[in-house]
Amino acid sequence: MNTTQHFDQDDLALFAMQLLSTAEATAIVQHVEQCSDCRSELASVQGDLAAYAHTVDLHSPPAQARERLMKQVAREKKIVAISRTATSEEPVRTSTTTTLGIGSSYLDSYDEQERSFVSKFLPWAGWAVAAGLAVSAGVLYNQRSALRATAASNAGQLIRLTADAAAARQLLDTMNDTTAMRVTLQKPATAPVPQARATYIAEKGALIFIASNMEPLLPYKTYELWIIPADGHDPIPVGTFQPDAKGNASVIMPTLTKGIEAKAFGVTIEDAGGATTPTMPIIMAGT
Amino acid sequence: MYRETGAGSLGPLATQDDATLLLLVQKGDEAAMALLYDRYSKVVYSVALRVLRDPASAEDVLQEIFMQIWRNPDGFTATRGSLGGWLSVVSRNRSIDMLRRKRPTEQVDDMQLASPYNLGDEAERNSMMEKARSVIFLLPTEQRKTLEMAFFDGLTHSEIAEMTGDPLGTVKTRIRSALSALRKAFKA
Repeated sequence: MNTTQHFDQDDLALFAMQLLSTAEATAIVQHVEQCSDCRSELASVQGDLAAYAHTVDLHSPPAQARERLMKQVAREKKIVAISRTATSEEPVRTSTTTTLGIGSSYLDSYDEQERSFVSKFLPWAGWAVAAGLAVSAGVLYNQRSALRATAASNAGQLIRLTADAAAARQLLDTMNDTTAMRVTLQKPATAPVPQARATYIAEKGALIFIASNMEPLLPYKTYELWIIPADGHDPIPVGTFQPDAKGNASVIMPTLTKGIEAKAFGVTIEDAGGATTPTMPIIMAGT
Repeated sequence: MYRETGAGSLGPLATQDDATLLLLVQKGDEAAMALLYDRYSKVVYSVALRVLRDPASAEDVLQEIFMQIWRNPDGFTATRGSLGGWLSVVSRNRSIDMLRRKRPTEQVDDMQLASPYNLGDEAERNSMMEKARSVIFLLPTEQRKTLEMAFFDGLTHSEIAEMTGDPLGTVKTRIRSALSALRKAFKA
């Protein structure tokens, strides 16, 4: 890496704000590792950014955030090993003394060859024990790490479950609260559509007309029913009618000429007393 | 065999500097941890809230950063300079990561930071804030907006150039000029 070609403050600022591509950032990391000038400039840029960060409007975190943190801290309580002051030589010396202390009575009765055998292999036995202890310690350390990871994971899950339970409880409380305001919302009702049914026997001149949901009319107006003849002649007035308070109305068996085939029926609004020719528009029609 | 350690022999905690508190945290002292939180949680939370604009997410960032201190206080001692400054920048970086839904970028967290201020001292911290705010307030609007878009909104210089219609070089220059103005004011 060429350390003589320094990065300028523009790039170092963008790097410090994580705004460069991975390749550009990597190049700066590699350069800064070797270049004390750029390292120093980058530290100054970080200081500038820290000062800028402090221009933010200050807000206090919620009180429960502190509680939450300290609970988590307590859950991950640190355990610090007591630093033993004994030197590494002490156990060896103790071991040797003990061995000699116990062994001295035996040694008196053994010959020089046996003494040589013991002195040759005993130190190795110590190393073997130490190696065994080291392996055990490694296994225990791994088990401890795994247990801590599991505990941390469980703690996280517990926090999530607690939050879920709190949300569920709040939901239930809201649903069961007798003081709660309860409102049913629905699509606004539309006015019922006027409908009518005509039953007509041409050869007998008999007609039954029943209407519902008719809108009320002004006092000097009336509905009028018409037969539109099939032979193309002008509409024939059948009779006038006024709906009642509920919008119902009927024309029952009016006096009609027999034998008039009807093509359709229609209703118009006419002046009180009725008309001899329909006034447009035809507000209801049926064939 | 294990034991827990406390602050017993180090005098009243509230008067301790950041390095001493970190040393106590390293030994598992929860009171020292609480004091560091009280000292810096406001700025860490405020920066996260400014970036994320969501109190719940800002609280998550706050929690994550302070738990990082608890778990690994060694990473902060001596070489990092001002703990308060470091925390404010890390809060911004973690919030931007959260905004981009990406994993934290270790290489930028692992930074040296040079600050002429002792942010552990509340009076000095307040003085620095006031000074920084007045410097930023007096910057030309374009410089102020460009730095804000880069730092608090996490927009790259290309994105800023695209949004403002300014050339890339101009965007970079504005960011540098704004930061230079801050540095100059603090050196004066």
